Amino acid sequence: MHAFDVIAVLMVVGATAAFGVGAGALARADDVVAAYWLVVGLVSLRGAVQIARSGVRG
Amino acid sequence: MVAATDDFTDPPPDSSPSSSRAAEATVPMRAQPFTPLARLGDLGSVAQSSVPGLYAWAVTVSPAAWSKGAPWVAKVAAMAGLASLVGAAAVEARAPRRARAASVWGLGLTSSIVWLAVPGALGPTRLDAARGITGMVGWALFAYAAAAPALKRPAEPQVYVAAPLKARSKTRRGDMVYVGAGAIAAFALQLVGWGVLVPERALLVRLTTLAVGLAVLGAATDVGLARHAKRLPVAGRLRRRVFVTWLALTVLAGAVGGLFWALR
Repeated sequence: MHAFDVIAVLMVVGATAAFGVGAGALARADDVVAAYWLVVGLVSLRGAVQIARSGVRG
Repeated sequence: MVAATDDFTDPPPDSSPSSSRAAEATVPMRAQPFTPLARLGDLGSVAQSSVPGLYAWAVTVSPAAWSKGAPWVAKVAAMAGLASLVGAAAVEARAPRRARAASVWGLGLTSSIVWLAVPGALGPTRLDAARGITGMVGWALFAYAAAAPALKRPAEPQVYVAAPLKARSKTRRGDMVYVGAGAIAAFALQLVGWGVLVPERALLVRLTTLAVGLAVLGAATDVGLARHAKRLPVAGRLRRRVFVTWLALTVLAGAVGGLFWALR
């Protein structure tokens, strides 16, 4: 497995954790914190897919 | 409908295009077993539509005709509607077009007479919501069965048999691990926030966890499938550049978060 694939997997794991923290904050009605962690999760998830797919032919 | 394949001719071992064309043939389908559903399918369209018609009549017409204070005209019209349904199904084999007209128009007109004769019978004080909804479903099914009757089974059904289909690609080893891990992560996210008491907030949390769970599952699948993709010769350099970009974004997000907590 390539090092970048490992990084992509770790970023997906990190995004999941960020989504979990964000959802928990949303449940506590802590909306600013929830928005922050949900955005961090989205950025991390998008980054993981971009890193995994960069350089793919076609 | 396709029957079990044990009655089909065996496909040839060679599945090249030319031999596939040679192998194509039509063979008779195995006779379907006798079931009540198959027997119902052999009935005519009028007999089929009479079943939901009877239901609609029983739920919405007969209670009105025999309600307290209903005139005798309503009772006669209700009985005439029932007779038109049963009679049309009985004479369908001899005169299918007339039977269909008698069934649809007979039930429709006589039911209208009943409702006109007893206008208060379908009011909200006399008809509860559940019965009203089931009556609507009954009339909808009657209309559907009368307008689009089921096709009759052909006497000798044929099945088109060709060479077996081949998968264009196979699932690589490890892909299921990625998809399974993504599914577990998506499921774990659904466990968050079940103690919320405010309904609107609880709904928002559920929608959010559902959306991000699907996003995680999709990303895990993408990352797993990207391992098998053919890459450009400059892929290493491209991946480094993309990685640095996203690393910078992550650092920026961390800095914004740290600043937010410091000023809070």
